[in-house]
Amino acid sequence: MSTGFDPGAAPRPDVRSEMLLGARSLAAPAPPSEARGITSDLSVDEALLLHAAGWEPLDLVCGVAVVSVPVGVWNWGRGAISLASDAHDQAVDQAAAQLRGECSKVHGHGVVGVRVEVSVRTHHIDVELVGTAVRPIGGKDARGTDAAQAMPFVSDLSARDFTLLQRAGWMPVGLAFGASFVYAPRRTAGTAMKQTRQNVELTNYTEAMYSARESAMEKMQHSALHTGGQGVVEVKVTEGPMSFARHAVGFTAWGTAVRLVAEAHQFVKPQVVLPLDDAVVTFDAESLRGGAAKGRRR
Amino acid sequence: MTEQPEVPPKAHDLPKDAAHRLEELEHGLFTSDLSVNEFLLVKEAGFHPLGFVMGSSIYHIGIQTRKWGESQELSKLTEAMYTARELAMNRMEEEAEQLGADGVVGVRLDVNYYEWGNDSAEFIAFGTAVKAEDGTSYLNALGKPFTSDLSGQDFWTLMQTGHVPQALVMGTCVFHIAHRKLTQALGSMGQNVELPNFTQALYEARELAMTRMQDEAGRLEASGIVGVRLEEKSHQWGSHTIEFLALGTAVTKSSGEVTLPKPITIISLDN
Amino acid sequence: MTDGQVGAAGPGEPGEPAGPAEGAPGTDLPEAAVRRLESTAFSSGLTVPDFAACLDLGLQPVALVQGFCVMQWGWYGQGSGYMRGMSPYVGGPQSAGSYSETYRCPHGFVSNEHRSWGQNLEQPWVEAAWAQGYGSAYQRMIEEATAHGAHGVIGVVDRVSSVADTGTTEFHFLGTAVTVDGGPPPAGGVPWSTYLAGQRLTKSIEAGFMPVAVVAALASVRVWAYCITEYLMEGNMSWGSPTGPHLIEQVSKAHMAVRQLARKHVRQQLTGDELHGATIDVVARELSQGDEVIDCTLRGNRMRRFKDFDQVELPRPTVRLS
Repeated sequence: MSTGFDPGAAPRPDVRSEMLLGARSLAAPAPPSEARGITSDLSVDEALLLHAAGWEPLDLVCGVAVVSVPVGVWNWGRGAISLASDAHDQAVDQAAAQLRGECSKVHGHGVVGVRVEVSVRTHHIDVELVGTAVRPIGGKDARGTDAAQAMPFVSDLSARDFTLLQRAGWMPVGLAFGASFVYAPRRTAGTAMKQTRQNVELTNYTEAMYSARESAMEKMQHSALHTGGQGVVEVKVTEGPMSFARHAVGFTAWGTAVRLVAEAHQFVKPQVVLPLDDAVVTFDAESLRGGAAKGRRR
Repeated sequence: MTEQPEVPPKAHDLPKDAAHRLEELEHGLFTSDLSVNEFLLVKEAGFHPLGFVMGSSIYHIGIQTRKWGESQELSKLTEAMYTARELAMNRMEEEAEQLGADGVVGVRLDVNYYEWGNDSAEFIAFGTAVKAEDGTSYLNALGKPFTSDLSGQDFWTLMQTGHVPQALVMGTCVFHIAHRKLTQALGSMGQNVELPNFTQALYEARELAMTRMQDEAGRLEASGIVGVRLEEKSHQWGSHTIEFLALGTAVTKSSGEVTLPKPITIISLDN
Repeated sequence: MTDGQVGAAGPGEPGEPAGPAEGAPGTDLPEAAVRRLESTAFSSGLTVPDFAACLDLGLQPVALVQGFCVMQWGWYGQGSGYMRGMSPYVGGPQSAGSYSETYRCPHGFVSNEHRSWGQNLEQPWVEAAWAQGYGSAYQRMIEEATAHGAHGVIGVVDRVSSVADTGTTEFHFLGTAVTVDGGPPPAGGVPWSTYLAGQRLTKSIEAGFMPVAVVAALASVRVWAYCITEYLMEGNMSWGSPTGPHLIEQVSKAHMAVRQLARKHVRQQLTGDELHGATIDVVARELSQGDEVIDCTLRGNRMRRFKDFDQVELPRPTVRLS
């Protein structure tokens, strides 16, 4: 979403005078302040957008959980590795619970921009969630009485996506996640020989991988329903063999569960633009704005 | 030969887990891998996402003998690559049909290699199934949900121009490039010269792939193909064997007129 | 960050004269730095668009400044942790109020190797050493900037890295010193600093936030595992409990604590200002028998609000046709 040059807009305030104001504010030592000191990992653009939508950042919050995986789980077997999926689910649940706890401590309504890091190791699965707790500006504990809303929402949407979604009448409710782990199926020697010279589908492999992927997606759906969502957006699917056990394959599906809170979906009616930039043109345009006075151009 | 093998559609060959998951989606929950931007634009276009759909197939890509000194199409491998992708796409379409979708947007085709699968690869097709909110049917000329690899943004723009997607069409050709004889190589050493057999081979291979793609579009009675991509990969065969894959979305004119508003030209001031 | 650097000053420019470095007494800048700062041309680490935006704001780049410091962690020999009587059974000297949590084994006597006692321990000596290294490098960069009469330093890049296997850590700061046209010198003569440059700095100023300094803190927690943690980290089932995955409480708590501590240390440096654009980096080193050391670095821009938020209009969504 570019903040393009709109001929009809009001002229931008003079940034030089703003800069001077800012510099002057530091010239005198700051009076002692009782403010708690917000920490946030949002960029300036995101903080501005959030503010324009009527929300403010409160604090950087995190949740971490380390769950053990019993020994022998990764040895070659058949079918789904349910112990590994259970460990993964437990780790995510616990980490999300911690995150919500930290959010509630600072009176936040939810957490946006959550960065999700899942690390599957031989003996344990680690999940780390880091994000910024936010709330409507000035709103302290104005929560709805609906139970689903009493729990702080968690979403891996950026602040920008959050404001867009909110404007359209939707709210995130929680993270939806699902994971499934499976052993690669084996072929008998006879089958392997027969298939070497043919181009043919390997049906037992297909079945195993396809099932495992579907199972991860299904768990994600359950998890979305569980948090009270009506849908999931920005689903990200990852898959791959474990680095320490190449015959075991893991599939994960993550997304943000959302819910329509307005009467109906609010259409955004986007404006169509045709940008005329390329790098050279951009530079020249900027120089026209500030360079003429200085005359410093190559 | 320019004909591609017909893949007989297999009815109901989705795994059990898929069936459970799709049933759940029919009860109102939607899932999608659309970004928030794409989600909003799909809604603008008058569609609602139904669910994330996928299809996969693990295929053994067997050996095919070839002459070291001749450039030729390796038709068995072509057939295998085409069939494998078709199987994956068909399964994805089947999932979409089960959800009662009008079409699938944002289709991605991926190929995965696993260490334990020698000479075999997994072909996966992902996408988000959508349905028109006003009840109009957008099924394509074959009576199936449309498929397209257009992003949410491109989908919205396309609909505004009065066209609808029909299907993701593809043409593939696996070509072996002849190794040059020693005398030939020595003869042209140190000169700037065109290598006719390479030129000829690559030209032919690309043409084959694109013609096949167009044939598919023809079968759908499409008026054109948009967003054509030509990919060239050696997969696991070594550098003298290349697969050329041409992918695009076949479209037809819908009854509507062009509703795309006149764009505003801007000079973006951010970097 | 430093691609396409902009070089010499424009001709006939009545900017701040870059006079010879005063070399404040007691400064520990190397000889080469002093010579470089004496030259009249400015160099900067700004990219071309950043340079343009910088001039827009009325900032004049003055010099490319840097600060550097190498720290060694003393684990052996005089003055080291070893000599200070730290051991698994005693724990290190704890400052008042630093984090620690003890875990006791639920089993009776098992064997001499059985770890019946474990602890999560904050390591204030590691944190202090890191803060010293970071602080020294930062100070030196600021000194170079002050020597030029700069008001602030923008586009700061800070790098902390271990030098191979030598057990040393180097801290390196790089930034572009600037003066504010017509502006007053900062309080105490200490230039302000920020990671931001270019458009992002412009937007911050427009939003009413003035950068004060780059702040960072390290928190370090050592996990001395007790028997249950050891078993779980090595994949064994805990005695008498049902088989299956278990939350490894000691390690999870240590991870949470290290991040909360880093946040606490940074907040102490803010004294009421806000931290924007924070980044968290965590490095966990697994030692043997379930032991672990977790280090968490939190860094960000300390900003002060100098005017209220203008009500910003929600931007109009657009779809690009290219």
